[in-house]
Amino acid sequence: MIEICHLYKQYVHNEFYALKDINLIIDRGEFIFIVGPSGAGKSTLLKLLLRETLPTRGSIKIFGRDLTQLKNREIPFLRRNIGMVFQDFRLLSDRNVFENVAFSLRIIGTSSREIRKRVPLVLELVGLKDKAFKNPNELSGGEQQRVCVARAIVNRPSVLLADEPTGNLDPATSMEIMTLIQDINIRGTTVIVATHDKDAVDHFQKRVVVLENNQLVSDQERGVYFNAH
Amino acid sequence: MHIRSLLYFLGEALKSIVRNGWMSIASIGVVSITLLILGSFMVLSFNVALFTQDIKEQVQIVLYLDETSDQETKLELQRMLASHFQLEEVRYVSKEEAMERLKQQLGDRAYLLDGYNAEENPLRDSYQVRTKIPEDIPIVAKEIADYPGVGYVDYGSGVVEPLFQFTGLVRWIGLAFMAGLAVTAIFLIAHTIRLTVYVRRKEIMIMKYVGATDWFIRWPFIFEGLILGFIGAIIPVIVIYYSYQAAVLWMQANIYFIPLIPPERIMEEIVKAIIPLGVVLGVLGSSISVRRFLKV
Repeated sequence: MIEICHLYKQYVHNEFYALKDINLIIDRGEFIFIVGPSGAGKSTLLKLLLRETLPTRGSIKIFGRDLTQLKNREIPFLRRNIGMVFQDFRLLSDRNVFENVAFSLRIIGTSSREIRKRVPLVLELVGLKDKAFKNPNELSGGEQQRVCVARAIVNRPSVLLADEPTGNLDPATSMEIMTLIQDINIRGTTVIVATHDKDAVDHFQKRVVVLENNQLVSDQERGVYFNAH
Repeated sequence: MHIRSLLYFLGEALKSIVRNGWMSIASIGVVSITLLILGSFMVLSFNVALFTQDIKEQVQIVLYLDETSDQETKLELQRMLASHFQLEEVRYVSKEEAMERLKQQLGDRAYLLDGYNAEENPLRDSYQVRTKIPEDIPIVAKEIADYPGVGYVDYGSGVVEPLFQFTGLVRWIGLAFMAGLAVTAIFLIAHTIRLTVYVRRKEIMIMKYVGATDWFIRWPFIFEGLILGFIGAIIPVIVIYYSYQAAVLWMQANIYFIPLIPPERIMEEIVKAIIPLGVVLGVLGSSISVRRFLKV
C-alpha cells in the first residue's frame, strides 16, 4: 500500500537532510508507530505522504501511485483517501462539532442527506454522540482530539495519519485516543502514528519504526519504545 | 457548476460574511468610500465636460462671401458647404440680417448706424458654420477658405486654439485623476480582503488537508468578494444620487447660468461604471488574496 524507496529529503536553504535513505513498506491494514526524538524527520515523513512536499531523491508510492509523478490537480484526490489527525486538533472554532466533522464531507460534494446520516454514526464511534452541537472550545482536549479523528475518518479513507495525536493530552486521555485509533485500525484502516508517547507505544505492541538523526535505524514488529534507544 | 455546489458556495460566502462581521463591514466600507470618491469625481468631471462642451459649441466659423462673384459661384459654394461631411450646421446670414443684429447688439447706441440703409450697407453676406466636432474648426476653416466665392474666413484664430487646449487639458487631468483613484481603490480593497482571507488561513489549510480542490476553496471567496463589492458599490450610488439631486436643486436656485447634467442621465452613467467596478474589484481582490494561501 505504501512503498518508500531510497527516500531523501532536503529542504531548500538547508544543508542538512531532513530524511536520509529511508526504505519502508507498509501493508494494507497495518498499524505502525513512527518514533524518535524531535527533529528526527517524523513530521517530514508524514508531509511527504500527504504530498505537502516532494522528496529530493527516491520514490514514495501510495495506492500504487508514485507521488513524485502526481499532478498538482490530483493532490486533493490523494488526500481524500488519507485522513489526518493533528497534535493541535485544528478544529474550526466558528462552527460546532457536527459541522467540523461534516466539513470533510461537504468539500467532496456529499449531499446534506448523506451528511446527516454519516456524521452521527462517526460521532457515535468516537464517543461524542451527545456533543454534536457544542462548540469545540467547550470540549476538553481529549474530546477535541476525538472530533479531529472523526473528521479524519468520516469520508472513510484507506489510511489514517496521526502526527503526535497525544502530544497535548494527559496520559489517561492519551491512552483513550490511542485506543480509539486502534479501533479504527481494527475496522480495516491502515494507521501511521508519529509519536513521542512511550507509554502508548509500549502498551500497544505494534510495529515500531525508529527515526534517529534523520535515518531509519530500526523497524520491529511488536516493538517497544525503550528498545529504540 | 452543479446547482448544489453553487448553492453551497453562495451559502458559505453569506455565512462567512456574517461570521467575519467586522471584516465584512470594513471591506464594504473601503469599497464604498473609494467608489464614492471616484463617483463624485465622475459627476464633477462629467459636468465640467458638459460645461466646456457648451463653450466649445459656441465657437463657429463665419465665412464672408466675395461680393464680386456671380450667382453660379454662390450656388456652387452653398452646395459644397451643404455636402461637407464635417459640418453640423450651415446658416446663411444676409447683410440685411447682419445689420439688424448689429443694431440689436448696439442697443442704445444703434443711432451710430443711422447713416446706413439698404443701399448703403457696409456689411457682407455670410455663412455661419458649425462643425460636428468643435476641435475641427481651425482645419475646416482653412479648407473652406479656398472654396470658390469665399471672401475671407473668420473663426477667432488665436483665441480658439488655446481654448481647445485648455478644455483638452481639463479632460486629461480628469481621466488621469480617475485612473489614479481606481488604482488606489484596487490596492485598498485587495488589502482589506487579504485580511479577511488571512483570518481564515486555518480554515483554508484544513480544507486543503481534507482534499478540497483549489477551485472549491476559491469559489466561496469569489462569491464573497462579489457580494461585498456589490454592496460596497450600491451605497455610493445611493449617496451620490441623493446628494447630486440636492446639489442640482441648489445650483438651479442660486447659480442658474451653469448648465448641469440632469440627475437621471448622470446616474445611468454612474451606475454603469460604479456597480461593475465594485463587483470586479471585489472578485479580483479576493481571488488575488486567496491565491497565496492555497499553497499547502
